[in-house]
Amino acid sequence: MKKLIFFILFSSLITSLALARSTGCKEGNCDNGYGKWVYTDKTTYEGEWVATKKHGQGTETWPNGYIYKGEFKESQWNGIGILFFPDGSTYEGEWANGFMNGEGTFTWSDGKQKKGIWKNGSFQE
Amino acid sequence: MEVSKNSFKTLSEPVKQFGGLVGIIILIFLTFFVLNNIFGEGDELVAKMKIEEERIAEERKLNKLISSLPSGVLVSFDGTDNFKLSDELYEAVCKATKLIPQRAIMGANFLNFRAHEIYTINGNKIDETFVKWDDEKNKCFAGFVVSGNNVGVDETIKVSGEALSFLSTGIDTRVYFIKNF
Repeated sequence: MKKLIFFILFSSLITSLALARSTGCKEGNCDNGYGKWVYTDKTTYEGEWVATKKHGQGTETWPNGYIYKGEFKESQWNGIGILFFPDGSTYEGEWANGFMNGEGTFTWSDGKQKKGIWKNGSFQE
Repeated sequence: MEVSKNSFKTLSEPVKQFGGLVGIIILIFLTFFVLNNIFGEGDELVAKMKIEEERIAEERKLNKLISSLPSGVLVSFDGTDNFKLSDELYEAVCKATKLIPQRAIMGANFLNFRAHEIYTINGNKIDETFVKWDDEKNKCFAGFVVSGNNVGVDETIKVSGEALSFLSTGIDTRVYFIKNF
């Protein structure tokens, strides 16, 4: 009887450990080099790392469908990059501190476009 | 008066007891009638109970529908491999959804820098979230309210947009994409 209880408890522990959501570097080198990091909410970053920060070219994929491909600096979207929105809309252009900053083109899913200068995510008329 | 007293005395004991019983019953009814008029809510309470019963029935219906949906991303637009909601399902999922996860909020904040700033300053705190079905536009709207002090100024910002995709966990549904552009 004791063995059975021990077996059930042990199996539950193994199952919960296997199913537990984990965060961390799943592939490559996430300190200095090229690696893939998976967050607890299943957001992934695959790309270049410098001193444990996202730096260089990379792709960040959110579980709800946002995908950013482009340059990272100090773990933020900085430089030239393209953001795909879940409905198919895109913004391609310059980024600073994680926001659309600089020259860029926003394309709606129906093909309509807005091209020009952006500041902190807002189009400058 | 004297005559009626005498005639009462002449009544047999069982008749007297029956008369007493009827009197007590009438007294009890009158007491409850008076108390109900003073403290009771009458029709108003019945109406409230009916509304609550209807709400519970509607919630049960929606929960049954949610549990029948496939787990994963549910979308209301074409062009993806995700499960496409029919018009009826879109409305039902909208009405059953109450949660908005962090990534959906962060996504909506791309187009609202001020909201992003307050959200970040306050440690990702949200004052209020809402998911509403708009009968006139036949669309689902979702959003959130952030408030706080940003550079010495107290601000309250409401971010809202069309809820175009949801996540079904098998237990509940969550807004996954708020299109606020």
